[in-house]
Amino acid sequence: MINLKDVRDAARDMLAKGEVRAVIGYRRGSRGMFAEPAFLDRPEEADELVWDPTCFHNLSLYLVHDRKHLAHAGKKSGAPVAIVAKGCDARSIVVLLQEHYFGRDDVYIIGVSCEGTGVVDERKLARHLNGAQASNAAFDGDDFVFTTAQGEKRLPAREVMADRCLECRNPFPKEHNLVYGEDKTGRQLEAPFAALDRFEAQGAGERWENWARHFDRCIRCFACRSVCPMCYCDECVVDSITFPISTETTADEKANRIRWIERSAARSENITYLMTRAMHLAGRCTDCGECDRACPVNVPIRLLNTKMEKEARDQFGFEPGASIGGPSLVASFLDKDPGEFIR
Amino acid sequence: MEKILDKKRLDDWAAALTNYEVQAPSQEDGIWGFQPVNGPVRLDHTNTKQPPKEFAFPQREVFFTFEQIKGEAPRLTQVLPQAPRHAVFGVRPCDGRGVPRMDKVFNDHVEDTYYNTRRKNVAYVGLACNKPPSANCFCLSVGGSPVSTDGLDVLMTDLGDRYFVAAVTDAGKALMAEAAKVFSEPSATDQKQVKQAHAAAVAHPQRAVNNPDQAPAKLKASFKSPLWDELARACIGCGICTFLCPTCHCFDINDEVHGKAPLKGQRVRTWDNCQFPDFTMHSSGHNPREGTGARLRQRVGHKFQYFYENFGMHQCVGCGRCITECPVGIDIINVVNKVAENAA
Repeated sequence: MINLKDVRDAARDMLAKGEVRAVIGYRRGSRGMFAEPAFLDRPEEADELVWDPTCFHNLSLYLVHDRKHLAHAGKKSGAPVAIVAKGCDARSIVVLLQEHYFGRDDVYIIGVSCEGTGVVDERKLARHLNGAQASNAAFDGDDFVFTTAQGEKRLPAREVMADRCLECRNPFPKEHNLVYGEDKTGRQLEAPFAALDRFEAQGAGERWENWARHFDRCIRCFACRSVCPMCYCDECVVDSITFPISTETTADEKANRIRWIERSAARSENITYLMTRAMHLAGRCTDCGECDRACPVNVPIRLLNTKMEKEARDQFGFEPGASIGGPSLVASFLDKDPGEFIR
Repeated sequence: MEKILDKKRLDDWAAALTNYEVQAPSQEDGIWGFQPVNGPVRLDHTNTKQPPKEFAFPQREVFFTFEQIKGEAPRLTQVLPQAPRHAVFGVRPCDGRGVPRMDKVFNDHVEDTYYNTRRKNVAYVGLACNKPPSANCFCLSVGGSPVSTDGLDVLMTDLGDRYFVAAVTDAGKALMAEAAKVFSEPSATDQKQVKQAHAAAVAHPQRAVNNPDQAPAKLKASFKSPLWDELARACIGCGICTFLCPTCHCFDINDEVHGKAPLKGQRVRTWDNCQFPDFTMHSSGHNPREGTGARLRQRVGHKFQYFYENFGMHQCVGCGRCITECPVGIDIINVVNKVAENAA
């Protein structure tokens, strides 16, 4: 059980001593019980921090934002940024470190273990609360406890947890500077890739029918890309205007820029976008599930990402975000690789 | 025109509208959306994920096609929307209030043929909110109401086993006249009950923008406030808040090329979004709205200041979608209230 006071004390202390530039964590938002990202710059803000089952965000995205701001302002990083990270979030940070997006000394990881549970899926929770509004959420062993106007509502965590949490192989942030909560490694409520396996058990025709419906529903708000810490590219294949421009770029060149994907939210374009994104996440996605959570129209994006993750595991025994010194999937090869072209 | 409709006869009304494509909320993959009616109409939705703005302002609109044979002049062919007449059921009053706001945008200075061609073919059949469908509803504080008829052609009110159906416009009367037999005359009890239902709906507690009348001046005075950056610190720059908004109307225009010899393609309008970093990107690479703070200020300013300055009303109708759906908790009520509180 994590004692929130310990986390707040640690944050206050490191801010007071100037050991970190900022602490990125969770605080209570203005929208009911839900947590929101918090950016603490001063020690007196430490008491804003919360830790509860609504801390679903993968905050490592904001480490990426921070690097972009620094680069834009032409500033050096100085002291590290501290970040509250769950198991999956910490694995995202490991991938960013593997890719040298920033250095290990630039980040101070305050690990929080999800212990026996995980975080809530807002949609599942809404179904269980059946119109009631909750004002507070708390961990309690294998349960989540919600405060509603009708009193306390206790739900087995596994009934309202996000799918990715049910399949989580390691709710403990192995890579950390400080860590709170028990290491319940190996706890799994569902087998790895359970949701994917269920989906893949359908016939090809049915799978296509489902995906066609999902792809058609995509409104191309790009929340999946925007919320993803791995989607850090300055230029994205879907943005028609972000191509390198200099004073020498001619009007003709601008007009004839290559557009891989049109802006129209049409099936062909949506497929190209979502599949391209999935391919670019192979070996990098740590299944934090943020894209799936953020999607306003319930496109099961996680299935695409876990498919790539499963391929990487089956083909190469690869697990993303396992260790900083470990190889990255697409930047390494094996001497025994059967494909001659790669050796 | 005020009538009573037995709930069992709702489908008969929908079926009688043979001159219309009838649309109503239905749930697919956990998402409430407007779909062509193909079976019983069940108006038991909260609110749809997307507002009904797509009927007049679809996400993609073709303006014209073009073709050019090498050495010849390009040939352009205008493509006007061939949309059927729509009768859209289950529209919530907040979304109804979005309609006249969109009408203003697409008819001020320039009359947008594409928008108007579609718009004149849509009839909006509203459903009063006896209870707020979302915890983030705030229609009352932006001049609306859960029983507002603004922008609607018909307003239905759920009275348990029957609906109280009131025509608001001539288009609404025409919709009801298509199925005169399914309706009955309201009794004095019905009249009393609908008044009670409306009074109860308005009395339901809601979240609120404080002093909305002062918001335009307060926001104007806060253009340079450091709060914008602070409140937008978590913003990820996605398009959820605007794409799901009943009054956001910004668009991009592109040529989609489908063939090279001869050169063939379409000029299309697609929704665009002030929260995308590339929305204001100049071709030089300079971006006047560089950070998330400037972009949040634009969105909130448009809803609560600029539109008010141009048209004398808030653009925001208080549906709460941008709050509920934001993945990182950015809350327009909180933003307006905080900025206004701290205004000089």
